[in-house]
Amino acid sequence: MSTNFSELIKTGYQTRSTRRKSINVLMLSLTALATLLALIPLFWIVGYVIYMGAPSINLDFFTQLPRPVGMEGGGVLHAIQGTLIVTVLAGLFAVPPGVLAAFYASRYPNTPLGIALRFSTDVLSGVPSIVIGLFTYALMVKPMGHYSGLAGGVALAILMLPTIIRTTEEMLKLVPHSLREGSLGLGAPEWKTSLSVLFPAAFSGIVTGFLLALARAMGETAPLLFTALGNERYNVNQIVTSGLQGKQSAFQILQRVLDQPLDSLPLTLWKYASQPYPERVAQAWGVALVLMIFVLFVNIIARVWIESRARKLRG
Amino acid sequence: MRNKLFIVFAVLVAASLLLAACGAPATPETVTVVQTQVVEKIVEVTPTPDASIPTALPAGSVQVNGAGATFPAPVYADWAYAYQYVDPSVVINYQAIGSGGGKKAIVDGTVDFAGSDSLLKDEEYTAGKDLQMYPTLAGAVVLIYNIKLAQAIPTPAAGAAATVLPALVLDRATVVGIYNSTITKWNDPAILALNPDWKDYLPDADITSVHRSDGSGTTEIFTKSLASFSTDWTAGGASAIEWPKGNNVGGKGNAGVAASVINTPNSIGYVELSYAMSNKLPFASLVNQAGKTVVANNDSVQAAMAEGTFSDKLTATIVDGKSDGAYPIAGYTYLILHTTSMTDCVKAQKVLEFFKWAMTDATAISRASALGYSALPDAVKTNVLAKLAEVSCNGAPVLK
Repeated sequence: MSTNFSELIKTGYQTRSTRRKSINVLMLSLTALATLLALIPLFWIVGYVIYMGAPSINLDFFTQLPRPVGMEGGGVLHAIQGTLIVTVLAGLFAVPPGVLAAFYASRYPNTPLGIALRFSTDVLSGVPSIVIGLFTYALMVKPMGHYSGLAGGVALAILMLPTIIRTTEEMLKLVPHSLREGSLGLGAPEWKTSLSVLFPAAFSGIVTGFLLALARAMGETAPLLFTALGNERYNVNQIVTSGLQGKQSAFQILQRVLDQPLDSLPLTLWKYASQPYPERVAQAWGVALVLMIFVLFVNIIARVWIESRARKLRG
Repeated sequence: MRNKLFIVFAVLVAASLLLAACGAPATPETVTVVQTQVVEKIVEVTPTPDASIPTALPAGSVQVNGAGATFPAPVYADWAYAYQYVDPSVVINYQAIGSGGGKKAIVDGTVDFAGSDSLLKDEEYTAGKDLQMYPTLAGAVVLIYNIKLAQAIPTPAAGAAATVLPALVLDRATVVGIYNSTITKWNDPAILALNPDWKDYLPDADITSVHRSDGSGTTEIFTKSLASFSTDWTAGGASAIEWPKGNNVGGKGNAGVAASVINTPNSIGYVELSYAMSNKLPFASLVNQAGKTVVANNDSVQAAMAEGTFSDKLTATIVDGKSDGAYPIAGYTYLILHTTSMTDCVKAQKVLEFFKWAMTDATAISRASALGYSALPDAVKTNVLAKLAEVSCNGAPVLK
C-alpha cells in the first residue's frame, strides 16, 4: 500500500516534471528565436549596406568632389567634411546648455523651472526633426539672408538637447546622496560639490548620452534641408588655402568655412538615392556605408569609453 | 567568454553578408525599345580661362549660392564644374530644390540667384521687390514611358533585320486623355491608331501616369501645354495643380519622376529632355498643332522658340507652337536675380560673369546642347545680355 502510494507520487512528479521541462524548453527556444529575429534586421542592414556600398568605395570617394552626371568618378569629400563640421558645431552648441540645465533640474527637480524643463524636454524630443529644421530656417536662415552650416549646426543642436538633458539628469540622479552630503558636510561649497564630486561621478554617463545624441544627429537629413541646403563644391582645403593666399585672418577663414551652405552625408544620400542615374545610386550606397561606419564608430567609442571607465572605477 | 562572443559576431556578420547577397535586387526589367537620342559620354573638356575675367582673387575665394529648378540642374551643375577652370576664384553651388523652392528662396533673399522655369507671379514680384527673370536656355519636356511589351519581339531569322519598335507617337488629345485618365489602357484605340508598328506589343495594362509632387516649372510648362492642347483639360496650367483622379503617382523633381517611371512598369511621365537622354529612356514623339510628328531635339525647340514673343518682363510661353517643326511642350528656363539690392558687389559680379559666360562661350553652349538643351536664339540672347548689364550693386553697374 505504502509503496503503491509513493510510486504514485513518483510518477505524478515525473509527469509534471516532464511537462515543466518541455514547456521550459519550448519557451526558451521561443525567446531565443525572438532574439535572433531581433538581431537579423541589424545584421541584415549592415551586411546589405556593405554589399551594395563597398564597390563604390575607393580613394577618390574620400578625396574628390562630385562630378557632373555623365562623367565618371568623383567622390563625396564635401559631404564628409560637412558632416564632421555640422556635428562638431551641434555638439558645441548643445552640450554646455544641456549639461548645465540638467544640473539645475537634478538639483531643483520640484521647482517650477525644473518641472517646466522636464516637461519641455519631453515635448521637444517628440517634435519631428523636419519641424526643427523649419524653425531654424525662420530663426536663422531668413534673418541672416543665407543658408549656412552654422544654421545646420544649430538645428542639430536643438535635436540633441533633449537627449543630452535627460541622460545627464538621470546620471546625476544616480550619484548617491551620501556623496553629495559628505562633500557638503566637509564644508565644500555647492559649486565645488557639483564640479568635483557630482560631475566626475556622472561623467561617463554624460559622455555616453552625448555620443548617442551625436550619433543620432549625424544621421539626420530633415533638419539640414532648410538650413545647410547642400553644396557640391564645398571644400575646406580650398577655402583655407585661398584664405591664406588672400591673407585673411583665422576668423575670416573660419567664417567662410562655417557661414555658407554645406552638405552632409545623409543629405547627399537622400539626394543621390532619388536620382535616376545608376552611378549616382551606386554612390548613394557608398555614402550609406560611410555614414553607417561613422555612426557605428561613434557608438563603439561610447561603449569602449564606458567599459574602460567602469574598469577604472572598479579598480 | 570574449572569444566566444567574437565568434558569434563573426558568424552573424558572415551570415548577414550571405543574406544580403541573396537579397540583392535583380536588375530592373529593361524595355526593348529603340532609343532615339542619348547623351554621349561627356568628354571632360578643360575650358580655357577667359582672359576678360580678372582672376586676382585666390582660387575658391568667392562662394556663390543658387537654388531652384531641377529642369536645368544637369547643365548648371556641369557649367559650375567647368567654370572652375574659367574663373578659379569662384565656387558656384546650385541646389536643385524645384522651381517653387527657388522662387521662395530668392524672394526671401536666402540665395544669390534662383533658377526657375515657372514664371513669377505678381505677388512674388511685389514681395521680392526688384526681381527680374532672365531666360538662360530652352528645353523640351518629353513624355518618357516604360511599357512592358505584350509579347516579346521575335528573334529575327538568320540574315533578317530585327524588328525595331519606333518611338511611341502621341498626339495632343492622347496626352491630355492619358493625364485626364480618360485613356486608361496602353492598348487604347487612340494610342493604337497612332502607332501601327506597336499593334502586337502594346499591352492590355493600366497606364500609370507620373507627375511632379513638388512645385515645379516643368509641371507648369507641361500643364500649360495640356490646357492649350484641349479644352478637356480643366485642371489648369500652373507649377502645382490638383491632378485629375486616376491611376497616377507623384515624384519629387525631374529625377524623381524619371526614377518612378524606370521602376513602374507600364508608366508614363514627363521630364526635361536631358533627364530622358542621360538615362537612355525612350520618349514619345508628339504630333503638333500643325499635324506633324516631331521629335524633341534642338531643331524642334528652336522652331518653338522662333514663335514666342517676350513680355516686358522678359518672359515668354512657347508651348503648342503653330509651325510645322515646333515641338509642342517646350519652355524657357530662367535665372532670377535681384536687380538693385545686391550688396556684395564681388559676388554679384561673379554671378553675372558666370551666366554671361554660360550664354556666350562656345564651350558652355556645346556642353548644354550635348545635354539636350537649346541655346537661346541670338536676338533673345542680345536682349538678355542687355538686361543683365542693367543689374546694379550699391548703385553702380555690376558688369563693366
